[in-house]
Parts: sequence; structure tokens; C-alpha cells
Amino acid sequence: MKNKFTPSLYFLLSGIGCLLVWVLNLGLGSVAIPFTEIVSRILGNEFSKSSWEIIFLEYRLPKSLTAILVGISLSVSGLQMQTYFRNPLAGPFVLGISSGAGLGVAIWLMAGAAVGTLIPGIFGNAWMLFLAATSGSMAVLLLMSLAAWRVRDSMTLLIIGLMFGSLAAAIISVISFFSQAEQLKLFTVWSMGSLGSTGWNQLAVFFVATLIGVSPAMYLAKSYNAMLLGENYAQSMGVNISRLRWIMIISTGILTGCATAFCGPIAFIGIAVPHIARMILKTSDHRLLFPGSAILGAIVMLLCDTISQLPGSAQTLPINAITSLFGAPVVIWLILRRNFSKEF
Amino acid sequence: MKTPTPLVGKNLSLGYRNRKEIHEVANAISFEIQAGELTCLLGPNGVGKSTLLRTIMGTLPPLSGEMRICGKEVDAYSKEELSKKLSVVLTDRLQVGNLKAGDLIALGRIPHTGWMGRLGEKDLSKINEAIKATKTGYLRDFPTYELSDGQLQKVMIARALAQDGEILLLDEPTAHLDLVNRHEIMFLLRQIAQQEKKAVLVVTHDLEIALESADKLLLMPCGHPIISGLPEDLVIQGKLDTLLPNERLYFDQKSGKIKPKISSQPLNISGPSDLVPWVVAALEKSSLPIHTTPIKIDIESNPFHLVALVKGQKIACDSIEKLIIGFRQVMMSEG
Repeated sequence: MKNKFTPSLYFLLSGIGCLLVWVLNLGLGSVAIPFTEIVSRILGNEFSKSSWEIIFLEYRLPKSLTAILVGISLSVSGLQMQTYFRNPLAGPFVLGISSGAGLGVAIWLMAGAAVGTLIPGIFGNAWMLFLAATSGSMAVLLLMSLAAWRVRDSMTLLIIGLMFGSLAAAIISVISFFSQAEQLKLFTVWSMGSLGSTGWNQLAVFFVATLIGVSPAMYLAKSYNAMLLGENYAQSMGVNISRLRWIMIISTGILTGCATAFCGPIAFIGIAVPHIARMILKTSDHRLLFPGSAILGAIVMLLCDTISQLPGSAQTLPINAITSLFGAPVVIWLILRRNFSKEF
Repeated sequence: MKTPTPLVGKNLSLGYRNRKEIHEVANAISFEIQAGELTCLLGPNGVGKSTLLRTIMGTLPPLSGEMRICGKEVDAYSKEELSKKLSVVLTDRLQVGNLKAGDLIALGRIPHTGWMGRLGEKDLSKINEAIKATKTGYLRDFPTYELSDGQLQKVMIARALAQDGEILLLDEPTAHLDLVNRHEIMFLLRQIAQQEKKAVLVVTHDLEIALESADKLLLMPCGHPIISGLPEDLVIQGKLDTLLPNERLYFDQKSGKIKPKISSQPLNISGPSDLVPWVVAALEKSSLPIHTTPIKIDIESNPFHLVALVKGQKIACDSIEKLIIGFRQVMMSEG
């Protein structure tokens, strides 16, 4: 290879980078835990302070794992959509899946308040929130699948997805208008996104869902490579387009739905990370891009979460604001470099 | 055992089937395309060439009739089997950016590799053969967005070759290309057909180059059955005029070009025979009333010089442009 920067070097460096950022993420926060302590804790020793154990095990570790899973889910689903729709601006938001999840949560928080008075304790339960978000995203997904069944053209599908998103957002505004201030605040907080509300049980579900969502993408990497030339060429190379479309919809639906359910809508990771991965790896080969984007997504989410902790302070910024602060300039910079379409 | 003809269409009716209605684009289409030959499909826009391509590719089943690929009906193939028989170069705009030309060519091996897409020894040698046949080796490490249209077309042909089917379909491969590249591409395709024993079908609007390079022509005129044959035979039989429903155009056998019919009496122009047609062509194009005005033009060569008598007034000049300007001035002064 002429190029010194080989893919294996990328994966080595990003692997090391991911571990470093992970330790950084575990150590920083309102209570700083020395990095040496964290490394020795991971290696099986005990903390010198017992309070750290609780912070570490009940809060920091699940939160960091959530960040990793969110990063993987959103980047992989973003990459799939960008290639499938042959549109560099496609991302998990575009098919309306995130908005659908938001709608589910909005309906639950407003209408659920009534149910909550009947069954005490169910309101505000994270599991119910997850159910509401997933059913919302799955509902949009189902409508999208019906549309996909009738519509052949991927651009049309993209536009329908955008319309579903707008429709969901409109219904959310109507619901917000009629809702109580307290519930509105709950919803607003959810929509700012948070990585910290996932417990170990939910994390197990999240992990399994991510695995289910990512594996078909990896398995179909070859078909995605063929899709680079467009549907017609892919078809001429033996790719079953309708099967690929279904799998893409289901995979991105699970990945985005799950991430949104647990952590709220998280912006820009799905759009920006695959572009950065393409740029660093200098390839369009999805066999490298899928793992490359996944690991980069994990790193970026861990970094964003670390920043949102405002190291040394008790405050936590909304994660969605941080990812937007990171993602929006990246997308603008990509456009200004003018090879936005070339990188693609 | 005789190998079956790569492409056979029998009494095909082509078109689109909606839930309620059937929209027929073309019917009674029968043709054969042989291995080792470059066949050019010519026909006016909208006659159903693209529909025929889609039918051959298996993406649009025929309304009726038989479409056989290597002796087997297209419907009977799985997508993967078909992709090992048939590869295509389409007019779809590419948007692949980062992909290097070499990697793009390697994509042609997709039907032959496992789910990981790992290229084996046979794959690599097929890719190398395709690159050699198209002389695209020097482009291997270029990202596709840096390629010119002509280079990109050759790379796409290499990709189709690497796919290694018996049949190669190309949809207007010479559109947007300059004259040299058009010739190069068509002769490359004929070379591929002859040397690799492939059946190559090219849809094109480029009659002149098709006449020069094709082994067979398929003419798809509006409202007539398909005509096939050697290009030269079709020229002699006057069949190429079937492509021109327009009364004002005809196919000139001498020059092998499509020309407008000149309706009125010949012009009074004398001079070297290689120069007269150019002067006539320029005058025909101008809006001047050359057939209704008494004119007489003498052309001299070495150096080029024109002497014209328009309505009794003399115009002497050294370019056709000046002649036309002078002609206009005479017409103006006459009112």
C-alpha cells in the first residue's frame, strides 16, 4: 500500500482512542475519580473510597456504556441511510423515526398522566417511556414500510419520511399546547436528551437491540457497496433491492428507535460521524465504514458526554446541545470543503 | 453441443402493467444477438429502447412473448444467476466520490464473491483482465470524481467486463463524449465482443459511428417491426430511412450521413467540388432567399476566394461569412 495510513492502523488507533476516552469519561464528573483508580477497578481491584464504587457502578459505567451504544446505533443507521438514499444529508432523523419516537413519548407523557393517577408509580417509569418511544418509532416505521412497498423510488421515500417527521412534530405541538406545564417540562427535558437514565436492565435490552440492528448491516456490507452505483446497477449485480430496503428500514428503525427511546432524540451523530469516518478512512467500502463509523460514533458520544458533565461542576448540560454544537459545525465545514458530495 | 444464442427475443410485447391498465410501449419485437458480435440498437426517442433494455435486464417482465438469455427465460433466473450472465453500463449518474477507479471495477465481482466480498485469485485475475482489455490500468488509484467522462465510461465498461457475463448491455455509452472517445469506446466494445466472445448490445443514437463499428444493426423504427442485418446491407437496401419519419431528412448513401432534403432547383455555384458543398451548406443554413433570388457564385481555391453576383451586384470576398453579410446588404438595399 502506498498510503501509510492503512485501515488497520485506523482501527488500532481508534480502538486505543476509544479506551482512553472511555476512562476519561468514567473519571470526570461532579466527583473526579483518579484514572489510575478506574484502571485498577476495571482490572478487578477495589476502589480506595467506597462512595466511588456506587458512583462508578450505578451511574458512570451504565452511562458510558449507553453513550457507546448510542454512538454505534446512530452512526450505523446514519451510514445505511446515506448510502441507501444516496443522499449525504440522510440520517436517522430523516425517515421520521426520531419524530415518531418523540410523538410516542409526547402522547404517553400527556395522556399517560391520567393513567398515572390510576396506577401509582407507573408514570415516569423509564420502562414505560421506552415502550412509548419504541411504539412511536415503530408506528412511523410501519407507515414507512407501507410507503416503501408502494413506492419504488428512494428519493420519494426520503421525502415521505420527511413529511412523516413534520406530521409527527405538528401533532407534538398540538399536544404540547393542551398539556399541563409540568408534563410539558418533562417532555422538554426528555427531548433534550440524556444518557444518564438508563439502568442495567435497560442497558441489556439496548445492547441486544443494537446487536440485532447492527448485524444485518454488517452482513449486507457488500450489497451496500453495490448500492454506491445506484439501485439499477446494484440490481444488475444481483442485489435484491426490495430485501435490502426492508432490512435497512428494520435495522435503522430498531437502532434509532432504541437510542431515541432511552436517551431522547440525539442530533447530528447520525449525519456527521459517517462523513468523518469516510474522510479519515478515505474509502467508500462499507466493510470498513460500518465498523469504522461505529467505533468513531462511540468515541464522539463519549467525548460529548464528558463535555456535558462540565468537569468539576455539579451541573450537566443537555447532551443534545453538545452533539449539535459538535455536529452542526462539522456538517457546515464539510459543505464548505466542497467535497461533501465527493466524500460521499 | 451447440451453445444457445445469448439473447433471443420472440414476439415480445413490452410495457408497464398497472393494477388497472396495461400500457404497451412496443410490440411484435423479435431479435437475436450473437456471441462475438457488436450489435447496435438504433431508434428514435420513445420507441421503447430503454423498455427493451429493462426487459432484458429482468427488471420489467414482458407483457407477452419470450425473452431468453442463454436458452433460458429471464423470469426463470434468480437475480444472482442473472447477474453472472449479464452486465450493464447504464446512463445513471454516478455519485461515488471516494471510490477509486480500481475499487469501482472490483465491484463487478460482487455476484461472484461470498458475503464478505473477499476477492479470491480468480476474481483478481478477472479484474486484471478487464483492466487490461480497457487499458484503464493507469486510472486504478484515481478517485472517480477526478476522471473525465471518457475515462469514467471506460472504467464502467471494465467493471461490466469484470462481472464476466456472456452478455454486455450498454445504454448510450458514447453520449456526452467527444469524437475521439466515441470512436475509441465503440471500437473497444467491438474488440471485446470479438476477442472475449461476448454478445455486446449497445443502444446508441450515434448512427455514423454505429455504421462504422457495429457487426449488426437492430433498427427499431416507430410503428414498424424491428429490422436487423449487417449495417452495409441495411444501407444498400435503404432501410435506414425507416428511422427518419421526418420527410425533410434522408439518409445519404454516399456520405453515410443524415441530410436534409433540398427541395428546389440546384444553385448556380461553380468551383472545386470539395469546396462547393460547404458553401451550399452555409447558404442553406442562413435564412437568405437563395432559391428565389438570381445568384451566381464562383469559388476559387488557393487562396480561397469568392465572387458572387446577387441581383446583378458583385460581391467579392475571402470567406463565406463575408459573402453572407454582403448578400444581406444587397437584400436590404433592395428593400
